[in-house]
Amino acid sequence: MGASSLIVLMIAAVAFSGIAILVSKLIVKATKNKHKGQPYECGVPTKGPNWVQFNVGYYLFALIFLIFDVELVFLYPWAVVVKKVGWLALVEIVIFFFILFMGFLYAHKKGALKWV
Amino acid sequence: MNALLLSALWGVVMMFSSFLVKEKSAIRNMAVAGLVLLLLVNILEMNGKVFFDINTRGMIYFDRFSLLFNSIAFISTFIYFILSAKDMEKVGDNYAEYFALIFFILCGITLVTSFKSLLILFLGIEIISIPLYILTGSDKRNLKSNEAALKYFLMGSFSTGLMLMGIALIYGAKGTFMTFVPPATVKEAAQATPASALLIAGMILLLFSMSFKVSAAPFHFWTPDVYDGAPSVFTSFMATIVKAAVFASFIRLFNDAFGAEKSQWQLLVAIITAATLFIGNITAVFQQSVKRMLAYSSISQAGFMLFALYAMNGDGKEGLILYATAYSLATIGVFAVLIKLKDFSFEGFNGLSKNQPILAATTTIFLLSLAGIPLTAGFLSKFYMLKAAMETGQNLWLVIFAVLMAAVSVYYYFRVIQAMYFKDGDVSPDLTVSPAFKTILVFLAVLVILLGIFPGLLLNWYYF
Repeated sequence: MGASSLIVLMIAAVAFSGIAILVSKLIVKATKNKHKGQPYECGVPTKGPNWVQFNVGYYLFALIFLIFDVELVFLYPWAVVVKKVGWLALVEIVIFFFILFMGFLYAHKKGALKWV
Repeated sequence: MNALLLSALWGVVMMFSSFLVKEKSAIRNMAVAGLVLLLLVNILEMNGKVFFDINTRGMIYFDRFSLLFNSIAFISTFIYFILSAKDMEKVGDNYAEYFALIFFILCGITLVTSFKSLLILFLGIEIISIPLYILTGSDKRNLKSNEAALKYFLMGSFSTGLMLMGIALIYGAKGTFMTFVPPATVKEAAQATPASALLIAGMILLLFSMSFKVSAAPFHFWTPDVYDGAPSVFTSFMATIVKAAVFASFIRLFNDAFGAEKSQWQLLVAIITAATLFIGNITAVFQQSVKRMLAYSSISQAGFMLFALYAMNGDGKEGLILYATAYSLATIGVFAVLIKLKDFSFEGFNGLSKNQPILAATTTIFLLSLAGIPLTAGFLSKFYMLKAAMETGQNLWLVIFAVLMAAVSVYYYFRVIQAMYFKDGDVSPDLTVSPAFKTILVFLAVLVILLGIFPGLLLNWYYF
């Protein structure tokens, strides 16, 4: 430990990305074709210009979706231990849901779920 | 702990009041009532009555210093609300949300003044920063406000990244997130790692990111643009209460976590202090807009507050408490008057003494306090800071430099006074201010003078 570990960290960080780029440069045969420039596994090819403005409503929906997404992610570890911890776990998850529900209620009352 | 929970709860209450309560005056009264409640429970906690006692495993610890600082933050916010809350109506439609965000910021302030774990520090800084980004951009149709919010967000996230990197390195060196490790384990750690470069590197990263948050040079570049672009009411809040609270956490961090490595960072802090004083004061001289001048003046005042960090002794802590109060009160007062005016340039103040003698007189007192003229709180707080720096016995050039820079600051503060009293002008003749507003301003000015004569009124709270 000491200064040497810091220097090792810095060198490792640069080397890790540098070597990866260098190796791929060295071993890949450069080809150019129509399909290479296409987005990889990102849905259907776009039609027309893709720099269009999105309706701001999309972002509101995405944010509210995020609330429930995170809620479900937290349900998994909770479900694993709920039997072991018992009633306390149930109370805690209800409190957790309540907090998120308040957020949802606020968004609903402010009209964030209405598509204008 | 009382204030921490209540402020978060009241933030949610204010959020819901946006569609439950129709009248704007009712919302305003709710916010003021919440703040009085906050102040009350905080003072009760100072007297040993803790309503909520949650076991945080030592990650949060409310001591005298943090409780007093919270009280100062709440009192300043209270004064800020009754002076400027009405002007928030002009910013946008989401009146109740502005209060909700301010209560969330207060929640973050109670965290950063009382942390014992670096994670809580990070959490608190983020809870403060994110509502501030929103408040900066709350004037949605104004391009300058948008630009300021984006700038603040990008630069703020970057500095938060630095802070996280620093915390990670310190965790690597110490093996714990706690800022203060009990002596027994410190000895073991000291034997295991005699000169830990990891700890020093982490400390410097934390120093830089905290300097960014308090806008110390050379990390101040965001300050003028953000303070200028944000709606004036919110500039007033973030330049005073938030900055003072972040300073409290700055001191707490370096006192608890890096007190033993003082010799390593003291010179660095001295250089940052000198640079902050120099850049803040010299650039403020050339400003045409009073709002922008106040932004630079807040940088130079931050330079003086850095003396408490540099000295890191009892006088420094006392001085910081006094300085934060004096600076907050005076700046809130100046901003409250500035918001009422339409023209933010120096010419906007021309002839104010003829139209509004009380406004002009109180503004003069606030500006005198900011400049550090005797009989005002600003003088005594600067005195405490310089005294604390003298006690360390080294780097005396810094003290002399600070006095010189304070003299420079007189120039740009007095330009406003000159405009108000000695220049003819008939600016804002339609300016109407309520008698209540004037009364609060006079009360604030009296407070500034009282603290300048009897600093014990405030500092006794630190001990008893």
